[in-house]
Amino acid sequence: MKPRKQVARETKQLFRLCLRNGRVDEDRVRLVVHRILESRHRGYLTMLKGLLRLLSTECERHTADIQSATPLPFDLRERVQASLTTIYGPGLAWSFAQNTVLIGGIRIKVGNDVYDSSVRFALVDLARSFGIQNEFAVGT
Amino acid sequence: MTALVLLAEPQGGGQIQQIANTFGVDWPHLIAQIISFCIVCALLYRYAYRPVLKMLEDRRLQIAQGLADTEQIKAQLADTERQRQQVLLSADAQATKLIEEARAAADRVLQHETRKAMTAGEQILVKAHEAAVLERARMLADLKREVGQLVIQTTAGITRKILTPEDQRRMVEETVKRLSVAA
Repeated sequence: MKPRKQVARETKQLFRLCLRNGRVDEDRVRLVVHRILESRHRGYLTMLKGLLRLLSTECERHTADIQSATPLPFDLRERVQASLTTIYGPGLAWSFAQNTVLIGGIRIKVGNDVYDSSVRFALVDLARSFGIQNEFAVGT
Repeated sequence: MTALVLLAEPQGGGQIQQIANTFGVDWPHLIAQIISFCIVCALLYRYAYRPVLKMLEDRRLQIAQGLADTEQIKAQLADTERQRQQVLLSADAQATKLIEEARAAADRVLQHETRKAMTAGEQILVKAHEAAVLERARMLADLKREVGQLVIQTTAGITRKILTPEDQRRMVEETVKRLSVAA
């Protein structure tokens, strides 16, 4: 059985093979996964799991998850995209969704960055000031 | 004696003879009586008078001894009385001292117990005060939480109802503006 460190190191090398110009290339990913499945080295399942985790993190880092209480009009979507592109650069994947739990406003998540101007966030903040730790008390 | 009487008779004892005759003295009879009297006296002295004297002397000595014993008993009694008084005085002083010591000890114990009771009372008061403060703080926190929850739920419900599409759009636009400023 391969040591865990060696598997992690090889997984990172395979992950780097999946990138093109610093972004995940779907064709390369398919090729790498195909090769791994063909070779069936020892620990290939662990390697695939690690690769999936790294790819998920990378995709999430380059995905803008935009939630709003009501469907966003097209012009607002464009303005949001433009602003985020200015901040994070081109190549972001966009995910727009309606989330009525927000009550009002918009919530944007890119990687680990979160821009939350929703009413729900304000209410959760208010609840914390009242000593209510359970954010479900907001009425989600 | 008889010889003296016989000798005195020729020298002129006629006078004595005359007196003796006058008084009817019968010299042999008298001499015999004198002798028998002396014998009686000697016998009385030997067998009656001396035992009586001895008995009287014994009695006197006994009385003297009794008096001496009485005096001695009186002295001993007085001494005993004096000792008894001393013992009583000593016992009285000792009892007084013991009572004073007992009172002092009782005072000390009373003061000690009083201090202990006061300290315990103060501690109980402090603990009760702390418990009351904690309970009040807990009640205030609970009240604050419940009021906050009520406020938040009410606000959420009302906000959900009163927000118009224009409000929603305005809120998103404000977010976009802030993003632009951040960019």
